[in-house]
Amino acid sequence: MELDAIAQPELEQIERIGGADLVIGILGHARSEAEGTAVALTGEALAELSRPLRAMVVCHNGTHSSAPVAREAGDQSPAVFSCSLPPPAPGETAQHGISNAYRTVFAVGGKLGVRACCVIASGSQNATPGRIHRLVQPVLDLGFDLVAPCYARQKMEGLLNRSVLAPLHGALYGQRLQNPMGPDFGLSGKLLQRLLAQASVRRRGVERSLLASIASAAACDGFQVCESQLGVRQQNPTDWDNLSSLLAEILGAAFLEMEGRAAHWQSIRGSQTLPRLGQPEVPSPENPTPVDVKGMLQSFRLGAQNLQDVWGLILPPTSLLELRRLSRLTDDQFRLPDQLWVRIIYDFALAHRLQTISRDHLLRSLTPLYLGWIASYALEMQAAGLTEVDSRIGLLSKAYEDNKSYLVSRWRWPDRFNP
Amino acid sequence: MWDQVGQALRLSMTKMLSQLASLLPGIVALLTALVISVAFAWALAAILRRSLKRFDFDRRVAHWGFPAMAEWSPASSPTLLLTRAIAWIIVFMGFLIGISAFDGALPSQFVIRLFAYLPDLMTAIVVFVAGSIVARFLARSVLIGAVNMNLQYARLLSVGVKWLVTVLAVTIALERLGIGGGIIRLAFGILFGGIVLALALAVGLGSKELVSRSLERETSKASGSNVKEPVGHL
Repeated sequence: MELDAIAQPELEQIERIGGADLVIGILGHARSEAEGTAVALTGEALAELSRPLRAMVVCHNGTHSSAPVAREAGDQSPAVFSCSLPPPAPGETAQHGISNAYRTVFAVGGKLGVRACCVIASGSQNATPGRIHRLVQPVLDLGFDLVAPCYARQKMEGLLNRSVLAPLHGALYGQRLQNPMGPDFGLSGKLLQRLLAQASVRRRGVERSLLASIASAAACDGFQVCESQLGVRQQNPTDWDNLSSLLAEILGAAFLEMEGRAAHWQSIRGSQTLPRLGQPEVPSPENPTPVDVKGMLQSFRLGAQNLQDVWGLILPPTSLLELRRLSRLTDDQFRLPDQLWVRIIYDFALAHRLQTISRDHLLRSLTPLYLGWIASYALEMQAAGLTEVDSRIGLLSKAYEDNKSYLVSRWRWPDRFNP
Repeated sequence: MWDQVGQALRLSMTKMLSQLASLLPGIVALLTALVISVAFAWALAAILRRSLKRFDFDRRVAHWGFPAMAEWSPASSPTLLLTRAIAWIIVFMGFLIGISAFDGALPSQFVIRLFAYLPDLMTAIVVFVAGSIVARFLARSVLIGAVNMNLQYARLLSVGVKWLVTVLAVTIALERLGIGGGIIRLAFGILFGGIVLALALAVGLGSKELVSRSLERETSKASGSNVKEPVGHL
């Protein structure tokens, strides 16, 4: 598959190794010592497992070492080999870069015939022996095929996951995951082989994001899925100027995946909670910096004032009327009802499939609505604790499931069913 | 003398009747060409109307970014507008074929010149249609981008870009048709300049907000570099 990204000496080394139990991808910013560190981290993580394993570490440090790091210390110690990926191409977006790196890690895993694969893509600062162990151990010892991450979050963190990705995944595929698009995952060799096979078939068709395919493929093909508590996720600060690009990239991938698996999710009703392994970590104290709700509401109102023509091509008249009414409310009164938000997301997904307008325009025009949702959520959850936040998100997930019949009807008969 | 007058009258009548008789085949040919073209136009329009209705052309035109086309159309239906336009073009072509059947020098020359003009006409139509599509696409891009950048002048910017491209396309089309000449160029210069000035003012006023917001962000970063962003999306 994507082995072209790996330098020739390292490819030869992979050929020489022949086989391994585990492949570990540590993707993040380029650091000169990253490869050595990754090997050490992996060695530590594997030492905690019940039996010695052979592992290959694919590191994102961008330096092709002609003499790859190989360590074999005694019979009972794990053997850890490593190879590196080139730095991301200039102009390549973060999500695209991660998706490409995932492909390479999977290709290496496929070549070595591994039993398990683990990828830490949320930044090298998040790669710890404990985290690697928590993603690998359920696959090797408990027989799970996919280990999805579960992070300790503040109430204003992971908002795109809370508002769209997680509840949409739950409603579509019937499995409640905190982070259906990872980006850190543990996978079994069986699931990895299935994803490789699906990706090679798709090469002839539309290119879908591998990151968006992992959880949905596991759900649709009946693999065993669980979540693992990974603690706090260190993230880079939000780039507000490029929020619309982030939305276009993430939601575009999710909607494309949704389109590709339409035949499967239309028959699923309800959702189930999955086993969550490990002890939940208490997130660091609440960030005292207030959220700029005023600015978000201003963006929402500006959108409602100027984007009616664009939204009119995507949303039904009832939703447009409701949005117009919301734009006239004062800051304190502003609340975006769950049903309206869910239908907006479903209508955007449908318009994305029908290509009603250019897909880039479509996804970017969702930005003011998303900011409106954040503002409404921030106002509602101002004084709430983490438990209340979880129950609030539970209600939103239920709204996604309750309105699934609306999505299915519109998906099947887009012209006939337009309230 | 009366014989001569009678002969002259007979001669002129014969001449007139023979001239009239020589025109008759042409008139019959013109009528035949018209009847055939009308029948052909009617049949083609009916087939086209049915196909476009099946294709849901009216709704698609609005989705392609031409909602205004329905306003210009009879019964607010772009399908009717298109089928009628094509039908009338066919009738007109039939009329031209009928006229050329007279074999008169003037109509023939007219037809030759008209046919020579057709490629320019087609080029102008293509330029205009392509210009309209590009104008709408760019206008929508600018509108969404400007709203996402929180610019109060988003719509003004978008309309400005749309007219800029439309004026450019119309000028190229008219130049191709050879209409207006210098006046069109002058009018284009004035209009283009006016729109660019309006856009410059809008961008200037809009970027004032952008610059101040960017400065505010920089200042807050500098004053509290340890302050963590309270909102995370992923």
